[in-house]
Amino acid sequence: MYQATMHSSELLKGTLQTIVLKILADHGKMYGYEITQRVKDLSDGTILLTEGALYPTLHKMEAEGLLKTETVLMGKRVRKYYTLTRDGKSVVQEKVREFAAFMKTMSALLNLQTA
Amino acid sequence: MAQLNAQHIDYIVKDLTYRGIILEGFRDEVIDHVCSAVEAELEKGVRFIDAYHHVLRSFGHTAGLRKTQQQTLRYENQKTKIMLKNYLTIAMRSLAKHRFYSFVNVAGLATGVAACLVIVLFIQHELSYDRYHEKANRIFRVNGEIKFADNHYKLAVAPAPLADALLQDYPEIETAVRFRQRGTYLVKVSDQAENIRQDGVVWADSTFFKIFSVPVISGNAGKALKEPNSIAISRKVAEKFFPDGNALGQSLILDNRWNQKVTAIFEDMPVTGHFHFEIIISMTGLEEAKNNKFLANNFNTYLLLKKGASAQALEAKLPDFVEKYIGPQAAAAVGGDFTMEKFRAAGNKIEYTLMPLRDIHLRSDLTAELEANSDITYIYLFSAIALFILGIACINFMNLSTARSANRAKEVGVRKVMGSLRSHLVRQFLTESFLLSLFSFALAVVLAWFLLPFFNSLAHKELSIPFSDPVFYGAMLLAAAVVGMLAGLYPSFFLSAFKPVNVLKGQVSLGMKSGLIRSTLVVFQFVISIFLVVGTLTVNRQLNYIQNKKIGFEKDQVLVVNDAYALSDKVEAFKNEVLQNNFIKNGTVSGYIPVNGGWRSNDTYWPADSEPTQENMVGMQGWDVDYDYVKTMGMTIKLGRDFSREFLSDSSAVIMNEAAVKQFRFEKDPIGKKISTFGGDNPDGSPDRNSIKSWTVIGVVKNFHFESLKENITPLSLFIKRSNGYVIFRFNAANTQNVIAAVEKSWKKLAPGQPFQYSFLDEDFGRMYASEQRLGKTFAVFAGLAIIIACLGLFALTSFTAEQRTKEIGIRKVLGASVPSIVMLLSKEFSKLIGISFLLAAPLSWFAVNWWLQHYTYKVEIGVLVYLLAGVFAFLVAWLTMGYQSVRAATANPVNSLRNE
Repeated sequence: MYQATMHSSELLKGTLQTIVLKILADHGKMYGYEITQRVKDLSDGTILLTEGALYPTLHKMEAEGLLKTETVLMGKRVRKYYTLTRDGKSVVQEKVREFAAFMKTMSALLNLQTA
Repeated sequence: MAQLNAQHIDYIVKDLTYRGIILEGFRDEVIDHVCSAVEAELEKGVRFIDAYHHVLRSFGHTAGLRKTQQQTLRYENQKTKIMLKNYLTIAMRSLAKHRFYSFVNVAGLATGVAACLVIVLFIQHELSYDRYHEKANRIFRVNGEIKFADNHYKLAVAPAPLADALLQDYPEIETAVRFRQRGTYLVKVSDQAENIRQDGVVWADSTFFKIFSVPVISGNAGKALKEPNSIAISRKVAEKFFPDGNALGQSLILDNRWNQKVTAIFEDMPVTGHFHFEIIISMTGLEEAKNNKFLANNFNTYLLLKKGASAQALEAKLPDFVEKYIGPQAAAAVGGDFTMEKFRAAGNKIEYTLMPLRDIHLRSDLTAELEANSDITYIYLFSAIALFILGIACINFMNLSTARSANRAKEVGVRKVMGSLRSHLVRQFLTESFLLSLFSFALAVVLAWFLLPFFNSLAHKELSIPFSDPVFYGAMLLAAAVVGMLAGLYPSFFLSAFKPVNVLKGQVSLGMKSGLIRSTLVVFQFVISIFLVVGTLTVNRQLNYIQNKKIGFEKDQVLVVNDAYALSDKVEAFKNEVLQNNFIKNGTVSGYIPVNGGWRSNDTYWPADSEPTQENMVGMQGWDVDYDYVKTMGMTIKLGRDFSREFLSDSSAVIMNEAAVKQFRFEKDPIGKKISTFGGDNPDGSPDRNSIKSWTVIGVVKNFHFESLKENITPLSLFIKRSNGYVIFRFNAANTQNVIAAVEKSWKKLAPGQPFQYSFLDEDFGRMYASEQRLGKTFAVFAGLAIIIACLGLFALTSFTAEQRTKEIGIRKVLGASVPSIVMLLSKEFSKLIGISFLLAAPLSWFAVNWWLQHYTYKVEIGVLVYLLAGVFAFLVAWLTMGYQSVRAATANPVNSLRNE
């Protein structure tokens, strides 16, 4: 798959949900393409979400009730916006906390100077 | 921001569709994403087509796009609730759409499951016998086997002194109890005149309550039954005789003679036990229990072993025990140079074994059982029938589902094209199958609920569905799941394997092509059905044979008045008074009648002209009768003469049956020969060799059956002696009510206060074969069920094939085929299958029938006819079933089936 990132996709795998949830939590309603762009901007181009990973994840989280969608008709195109549900909002906090704790552990484990 | 124009968007939409992006929800999203990304590229001045391909690359081209689509679909479907709801909705719709098939499926399966459920309840009930005794696994009954002088006895009873001697010699026995049964008793409360006939009366040792878990609700279990003339009674009896509730300490009078004090009241014994006592009399009052006779076996003896003691080890010591206690008495009885070794070497046997309590109900059919037991064979038989019927029902289910597959092939094709994965289809079909199975089980419980009273009357049971037991629901659900799974597995995998290309082109194997398995299943169903029909016919023919066989006496129009001893010295007066009625032909007084329930008395005799030795002794039934016995019973004197009052010497005369003549080797000229037997016992219990009684043979009676037809006719002799068991009348009247009324009137007059109990000899005779009759009826019912289920399946299958071949039939008719030839065409296939079934079922049933008939010494010949009958029957039923559908299809107007082409 197309992957031009500075971070390896292996590292990203477990964090994809967290990233998407967090971005939606910070910016509210977003559509798929917008999310990829936002991630790219925020990470200064070091993280590129592949479409192949993004859409299955979005649909999965929708199925799990973390996200809800609304579609807007734009001429010939249909745009699908994702927002967090109440469940989703509580999960974001949890996921971020969890990830922070994980980073702390990792830095201790790998003896890194700064997190 | 640069906006894409309409052509560009159309291009993208078309191209993506072409690449196979069709998933609803995902498709629009991808289009929007691609458009947005392309717009961003256009912004940088890239050409549309380059931008588009660049974006596509980021998706991984067609392969990547499809992979993402599939992944999305998979994730979406993990939405379990929605998924299940979806499957359920579709399943419901599909079932509702094919109402006929669904109905056949549910009806067939429900019938099968209901039958199975009833049988499982029955088996469970049978297996639970005697489980209520807490010490059941330490309780053993002493069984005896005695083989001597052409007699072979297998006994549930042991000698009176055996229990004490065992207790004394073997410390591993904790305690023992003996029972002595002497039939029914007349019971009354001491200050009342009215007697009531009471079943379930037994003499027992006071250790009874220590061994068996029968709770005492009033009185002291430890002290009850210790004194002579004390009894323990059941709650039921206490309520019957002492309705005001203070039974303890009161007295009951048994048989107008014995005054017995109630020392304990015990809870009614559960149905699931091999004995049900109502009144237990203290053994201390029974003289017979105190003697030292090891050669008379009359006591049902139960041992309670100590914890950890091995029954096998104890059993292994019993031959020595026999040697030590029984050997000397046997030597004294037989005389001469008797030793146990010689006795055994001559092929004789005295042996005692231990039988676990829990085995008695199903595995014991010995002489002198406390009650008639059931038989493990029935358990096996019923289990097999239950499995068969469930099997047939499940097969129907699978058959119909796969048969329907042809109709659903297109559905499968379209679903697959629309992106269904195989696992989705499997799940879909399994859901349908589960749903049907669940319906069927629910229906089955209702059906079983209706069926159960019927079955109960058939099997003499009081089974009920355990509605309050959560385990029952769990088990039913689990069974429904398993059956649904088993039945649905094959069709679901078979259907889901279709290749959409082939299906949509119409190249899928339709109808009977995939029918090998289906044919096998139909064959299997009909093999079982034919087997059950043969079984039913056989059992009923044997019963018929028994009813109509010449049994050596006339059993019809004979009234048997029970408890003649209640008349005491007025027996003759009663008999004579009844004989005054002109519709009474004969009457006789005797305890010995040739059906179950009559008295029996076995003794050893020898030809009077020789000394008694092991070789010439004959074990023989000696029946005490009066002068009118042979006449009243309608027996035939073959040689010599009947007893007659004109001969004073007849008090020492004997009439033998043919079997006895043969045994004594009197064939040449039996009349005038003499036989002898011991007239008394020594104080130690052995027979007194100085006291010998002799009789002269005056006649030979034709062999008559006095035991079940399972048994051979053994030697028997009639003696003139009073035995007040029954008064038997042969009557000659169409209206039996008049007969009963007249006899009862005389009874009331001569035996006031005594219960008048009667039966008819033919009914008593019939009762000996009650279990066969039950078996016959049960077989018929289940054979019927099996055939109904199999035919339901066949009906649905034929209607399905007919539907499949509508066009073919139409074309054939247009080309000039006649209706009969089309009916033939449609029925041919299944007829062939039934033919094969018959060929398979015939040898199978032949084995089974022979095995069953082996139990009977006197049995009916089962000719080829029975098999043919069963085969023709199955064939006819199947043809009728198929005929309707075939004829309907054949007579349809070809225009209707062809106009759509």
